[in-house]
Amino acid sequence: MRKMKKLAAGSLAACMFLLTACGGTKDAAADPGVSEGAGETAAAGDKIPLTLWHIQTGTMNDVIQASVDRFVAENPQYDVTVVEKQNDSYKSDLSLAINAGTLPDVFITWGGQTMYDYIDEGLIYDITDLMKEDGYADSFVDAGIAQCSYNGSIYAVPVENISVAGIFYNKDVFAKYNLQEPSTIAELEAVCDTLVSNGVAPFALANSTQWTGSMYFQYLATRYGGLEPFADAAAGEGSFENDAFVYAGKTIQDWVNKKYFCDGFNGMDDDSGQARMLFYSGNAAMDLMGSWFVSTIAGENQQFLDDDKLGFFPFPALDGSEADPSLCLGTIGDNLYCVSASSKDPEGAFHLIQSLLDDEAQTERTANGKIIPLKSFSSDNEVVNEVLDTVNSASGIQLWYDQYLPAEVAEVHKQTSQEIFGLTMTPEEANAELQSAMTSYLNK
Amino acid sequence: MKKESSMSLRRRKETAVAAAVFLVPALLVIAVFVIYPILQSFITSGYEWNGYSSNKSFIGLANWAELLKDKVFWNAFKNNLLVMVLSIVIQMPIGLALATFLDKVGRKGNVCKVIWFIPMLMSSVAIGYLFRYALDANTGFVTAISKFFGGGTVDLLGNTGTVLITCIFIIAWQFIPFYMVYYLAGYSGLPSDVHEAAMVDGATESQYFWQISLPLLKPTIKSAVVLSIVGSLKYFDLVYVLTNGGPSHASELMATYMYSNAFSSYRMGYASAIASGMFLLISVIAIVTMRVLNGKED
Amino acid sequence: MTGKKKGLKLSSIVIGVLVVFWFLVCMIPFFFLIMCTLKEQFELMNNGVFSMPEGLYLQNYIDVFTGGIWKYFFNSVIVMAVSLVLLLALSALAAYPLSRWTFRLNKPIYSLIVACMSVPIHVTLLPIFMMSVRTGMYDSIWALIGPYVAFNLPISVFILTTFMATIPRDLEEAAKIDGCSLYGIFWRVMLPLVKPGLATLVIYDGVNIWNEFSFALTLTQTAGNRTLPLAVQEFQGQYSMNIPMIMTVLCISILPMVIVFIFGQEKLIKGMMAGAVKG
Repeated sequence: MRKMKKLAAGSLAACMFLLTACGGTKDAAADPGVSEGAGETAAAGDKIPLTLWHIQTGTMNDVIQASVDRFVAENPQYDVTVVEKQNDSYKSDLSLAINAGTLPDVFITWGGQTMYDYIDEGLIYDITDLMKEDGYADSFVDAGIAQCSYNGSIYAVPVENISVAGIFYNKDVFAKYNLQEPSTIAELEAVCDTLVSNGVAPFALANSTQWTGSMYFQYLATRYGGLEPFADAAAGEGSFENDAFVYAGKTIQDWVNKKYFCDGFNGMDDDSGQARMLFYSGNAAMDLMGSWFVSTIAGENQQFLDDDKLGFFPFPALDGSEADPSLCLGTIGDNLYCVSASSKDPEGAFHLIQSLLDDEAQTERTANGKIIPLKSFSSDNEVVNEVLDTVNSASGIQLWYDQYLPAEVAEVHKQTSQEIFGLTMTPEEANAELQSAMTSYLNK
Repeated sequence: MKKESSMSLRRRKETAVAAAVFLVPALLVIAVFVIYPILQSFITSGYEWNGYSSNKSFIGLANWAELLKDKVFWNAFKNNLLVMVLSIVIQMPIGLALATFLDKVGRKGNVCKVIWFIPMLMSSVAIGYLFRYALDANTGFVTAISKFFGGGTVDLLGNTGTVLITCIFIIAWQFIPFYMVYYLAGYSGLPSDVHEAAMVDGATESQYFWQISLPLLKPTIKSAVVLSIVGSLKYFDLVYVLTNGGPSHASELMATYMYSNAFSSYRMGYASAIASGMFLLISVIAIVTMRVLNGKED
Repeated sequence: MTGKKKGLKLSSIVIGVLVVFWFLVCMIPFFFLIMCTLKEQFELMNNGVFSMPEGLYLQNYIDVFTGGIWKYFFNSVIVMAVSLVLLLALSALAAYPLSRWTFRLNKPIYSLIVACMSVPIHVTLLPIFMMSVRTGMYDSIWALIGPYVAFNLPISVFILTTFMATIPRDLEEAAKIDGCSLYGIFWRVMLPLVKPGLATLVIYDGVNIWNEFSFALTLTQTAGNRTLPLAVQEFQGQYSMNIPMIMTVLCISILPMVIVFIFGQEKLIKGMMAGAVKG
């Protein structure tokens, strides 16, 4: 054994020498990206296979499946595979699929820089002409189409939702402690203090997921400085070390110290729903979340809606700030459904997307608490209408930072915002790190 | 004389050909799936590349320069080292103790043996999910136990101070059974008459353990230590599922950091540099450990 | 004499307590797991962790079994079977000359193979991923077999070589005199003698392959082509926050290995002995 180990050590060293000697020769990995299209080798006779990836959960799965079934019934030449992906690993899954050249015919992106990168790479099919047919594009709210457009062309359909973040709360808890919907951050803090003194966590938060906590950062910065600080920083004209971001970081740390967030928030992830459990059970009173929250609840805990426990108010205004308090954080369309450029039947794939919003689907989606980004949309759900009012009265919308920013900077943003929550970095340090990631990206 | 040497020559040739036939398949597999990928990783580490773009630019050693200065990577390396040291400190003695017990009681201990081994049979993924829920600050069993004794909620995974140590204990929970069986195998390889002879000479059980069986088990312990070191340095699965390196990189390991760079930040070139750096570090540590362990023996 | 007996008693008590303690350490998480599988979605939150389930609720198991877990299960079985066959064949072939014959490259080759034990699979993950894409094997269970064989090969060769080294040479000599070729000796003499060693590999590598996660995660994509360790992830996409359901998937994925171990534990230990002690 002893000798063997020596030998093993020796040959390892030899290997390493060889390795370093060989470095830099030959082109690595002959162009990936382009290879056979998605879901080829269909077993189903002459049928054209189409694959669709989405990240909806709960009852929305069934709604999508039902749409697809109708599509297949009307277009029997297609054989459609629907894949429900897990939200948090979706980005890696997509990256692997792109690498492998096995992008599904229909997949979702969240818009922003990542989608533009994909478009620049020629991964997404230009659906402008299809969208313009019969004025289909005009039926969507303009902001939604804007989010799907790049360089004057349309690349996606804003199917899912008008998703703006706001504060959802448990009405029972608010009633129990005699609390009112706050309209300023000072009032919000007063509400939180009351809750804390009664042993209820003000906010349910699952921040292992990172984007969840990052929404607090984004909203606070927007309430402090409006849209400009971020737009400037992302364009390289300003900086993430701007006061707005310092304020956001400081406020979050203040709130963490005052125990405004549920226990263990940095260790829970959103997909497993541990934080939502607290919200449902009344152990946490509020949840800052995108408006898909309504349909999430409809999907996993309809009872909560039936009992009329869910309330909503927009993120409160900051006293003394000049920023417009009607600004919203979010996206119009949420999951943007794209057709892969490698799809063998892009038109079919496009019609498949359309089927997700056919009349029946619209009814079902509305019933599931979705806020469909169609001009004709209306709902009798009180919370949904409140969200809708918030959006309609908004003077502008701040797209989620992590979708607006390029992937590598977005990762840094999510990390540093988690550090702020964990009190492991001061806001200044965190913002400096984010700025340096932004600078190094822009310098490339 | 001449005839004999030509015969042995022919024999040797025949052996060489047969050896080639026997060895080539295995070597081929290793060349394709181990050695070539390692080379490839080193090559990719010279590029700036997001993983899907056709635009892939050679940037020489820039990724390596960044790696040397990357605090997160070195922190991850430090975490790996901590996992390594504590794995040895926790897993080896407990594994040995369990094996000693099972060796003493023989067949009677079969039920214990099977139960004690179960954690090893679970995949790291399953363990990760299990403990994610089991350690939940609000509904997990640690909190339940703490509340039972009048304490508050216990947040092990969301706390930068406790998350790594928690992972280390879970890893120990997973791998102690492996070392238990490993040592048990070591025991069953010891000559049985030694024990009798020692008892006849009036040795107590503990004297026997410290003075006779422990020295005899030395080779087993050494190879267990090497296995544990290498395993700790390349650890990935459980941490990926349980914490994905978070919060705030507190449980980040080299492998999880590489994975998130490759597939979340879309930095394939840099991820390759991390992978290659990891390979170099592990090789150096493995070589040094083997040298030290073998040096002691001399 | 009596003093010794007392001492023995005290130490037995201590040992007994420790044994029970460790028993609990191993079992509590499983107890938690199994309790969870028998509960309804919201029971977990409302009733606390250690409460007994409200009645025997088996719907989770029914849902998981009808929800497509078999696909993962069969994929796992196929991947494991094919990989094991190749693995056994290649490692037996390689171990034989390495343990028996003298030729110039014997030691270097042996060390090279053994050194591969310390290669972290993540160094090779991205290139193997690219390779599987280029060869068109990406997103099929066949993409997994190469890496599985390659990464279990070193330890298998290591264990088998030590195993073969313990087998007396007389039998081979006899066969040689009978005019058996080198290949014949391997096939007819050696292979039957190392059966216990091969059995060890089946269990040891089998557990590894059954539970492998990283390659499976990276090299496959569609649910229909994934193995059991990924089922948990996929089911989580589907059931979102139904914790008991996810626990049920976990529970089902562990069972086959537990059963295999109960029957195979003697062999596992015997084979590890070959690796551990003689090494």
